[in-house]
Amino acid sequence: MAFPTEPADGEVTGADTPPRSSSGAATPHTAGVGAGVVLIRHDGVSPRRAQMRRLATRLLDGGTGLTAVIPFLGLAAMVVVLIVEAIPAIRFNGWGFLTSSTWSVGSLYGNAVKTGGVTHLAGAHYGAWPLIAGTLESSAIAIVVALPLAVGAAVIVVEKLPRAFGGVVGLCLELLAGVPSVVIGLFGIFTFGPWLAKHIYPTLSHMPNVPVLNVFRGNFNSNGEGLLTAGLVLAAMIIPIIAATTRDLLRQVPETTKEGAQALGMTHAEAFFNVQSRWVRTGVVGAAVLGLGRALGETIAVAIIAGGAGQSYLAGNIYGAMSTIAANIVSLLDSAQTDPTGLAVKSLAEAALVLLVITLLVNIAARVIVRRSSRGAALPVGAGF
Amino acid sequence: MQDQHGTDTLVLNGRRPVDGQPVMAARDLALGFGSTTVMRDITVDFPRGSITALVGPSGSGKTTFLRSLNRMNDKVRGFWNRGTITLEGQDVHGDIDPLVLRRRVGMVFQRPNPFPMSIQDNIVSGVRAHRMARRSDFRDIAETRLAEVGLWSAVADRLGDSPFRLSGGQQQLLCLARALAVEPEVLLLDEPTSSLDPRSTEAVEELLRRLTPGLTVIIVTHNLAQAKRLSDDMIFFYEGRLVETGKTAQMFDSPERSETARYLLGEADPVSHR
Repeated sequence: MAFPTEPADGEVTGADTPPRSSSGAATPHTAGVGAGVVLIRHDGVSPRRAQMRRLATRLLDGGTGLTAVIPFLGLAAMVVVLIVEAIPAIRFNGWGFLTSSTWSVGSLYGNAVKTGGVTHLAGAHYGAWPLIAGTLESSAIAIVVALPLAVGAAVIVVEKLPRAFGGVVGLCLELLAGVPSVVIGLFGIFTFGPWLAKHIYPTLSHMPNVPVLNVFRGNFNSNGEGLLTAGLVLAAMIIPIIAATTRDLLRQVPETTKEGAQALGMTHAEAFFNVQSRWVRTGVVGAAVLGLGRALGETIAVAIIAGGAGQSYLAGNIYGAMSTIAANIVSLLDSAQTDPTGLAVKSLAEAALVLLVITLLVNIAARVIVRRSSRGAALPVGAGF
Repeated sequence: MQDQHGTDTLVLNGRRPVDGQPVMAARDLALGFGSTTVMRDITVDFPRGSITALVGPSGSGKTTFLRSLNRMNDKVRGFWNRGTITLEGQDVHGDIDPLVLRRRVGMVFQRPNPFPMSIQDNIVSGVRAHRMARRSDFRDIAETRLAEVGLWSAVADRLGDSPFRLSGGQQQLLCLARALAVEPEVLLLDEPTSSLDPRSTEAVEELLRRLTPGLTVIIVTHNLAQAKRLSDDMIFFYEGRLVETGKTAQMFDSPERSETARYLLGEADPVSHR
């Protein structure tokens, strides 16, 4: 640092002496400013200016406070509207909604009937069990397939690939995450499903008749439509989400902690399981929940590929035609609006409510898992995600 | 602690008499990255059971040199080395498996780097990796090592807790305990106290002094006062070369080279161009 206005001290500055700050108290009026510049002091001169500054602060505080409240209000409004909308359906359908397998609007040509204060068409019956089961089954397949592949991809990108190549792969992952689901659904029905049915399912369906593997035994549709294909398409959709998040988490693991493992004589794999995997564990659970949420709520791709959208099929085997809550809402909404009593739409709202509850339960479960697994080794980034 | 180095450090430290062969040695060592040569012509011995301080201005190559003693630079892109480094006469690049080398030559870093696992698991992580003990002995090992570094009373009732809740000084002691748990012959320290407060620094120094008869310590430090009060031997690096080596007390009293003298007097840049 140079001190043009000060003559150098006679003594050499020792290593222990901290260098003097250039904005030190020695020359307060021109500190840090070139010669000839006079600083203007506003102190007490302009009350208006002070007022403006306070106003700006208040605006900023108010603005950020508002943006913080909006997500909360949005969620609350959504839940309230959904509940209010679904109340007649809840009263009419009762608990049978969760267990029954028939979804029928009733006779559009008969007169409306009133049961328990709820107006409905004659013969109306709403049961969402096949949809609930289909939602859980397809999402379970998706997460079981996607999680190991996504984490594996993230590990390879961060730990193994050369930086430039890893960057390209990472970019592709992010682009893949942004592909519209209708495109993936069409790819599934035109290409992926038939390919699976031609090359994979014939072998898979002849798995030995032993526990676990025997779930793959059974007949399949020649164009691949059905539960397993839907689950695999969902997996393809959530792999990028989980992989990109896991990759970012792995990149945050401090180099010095990794070196600590290396310096103890651990192999690459040992270091990974001792340091990186533990460091990212809670975050990966969070990423998996994010992916699972997307799979549970995915609509159009499933509607295209599941083989049973708009119907109430419970998949007969892992290849069976099925549908999910979300796919059925979009498939049935049009016809539901022809129900003059409005109960069909309200039942769809009830189905949506069930989906919302499932998603919330998954989130809560994930939080519990995260909290339990991170006990004893809380990371400096703070407990939980 | 009083400076003891005015008198015969060999006796004071209760060290075994030097048996002729150094624990570690470098011969005609040159290190670099890509087209840059970081260090050249390094030939030096590390006496058994002593504390050797590596000093020199920033960028003089001390840390690069230290890290090549247990091959921590291997995975750094573009790193190369010529010449030899030996541990007990064996070439670290040919005769010894790198994983075994790092068990025998431990390392503690500038900043504490506990693993994201419980305090006890941290201590035994190396023991576990090298299969040096049975699982049932892990708790005893943790207790022994924590007691050795003077951390036992502070963490005795929370061995299962996160190490990240410990203070910085305690974390560094934990990392020392972790490094000591695999029973290294040499311990490399890269400015181990630069992020610690004075009391923690004192605790680390006291520990190193206590360990040295059975352990050889090589420490990079920017703190000349620390080098003076802690080390037996000293190596002065400047611009990628070994300028001077000798007994610490002697080097402070009567350095042979003018660069050393200027640096030890506290001038940041020993060879002033003005």
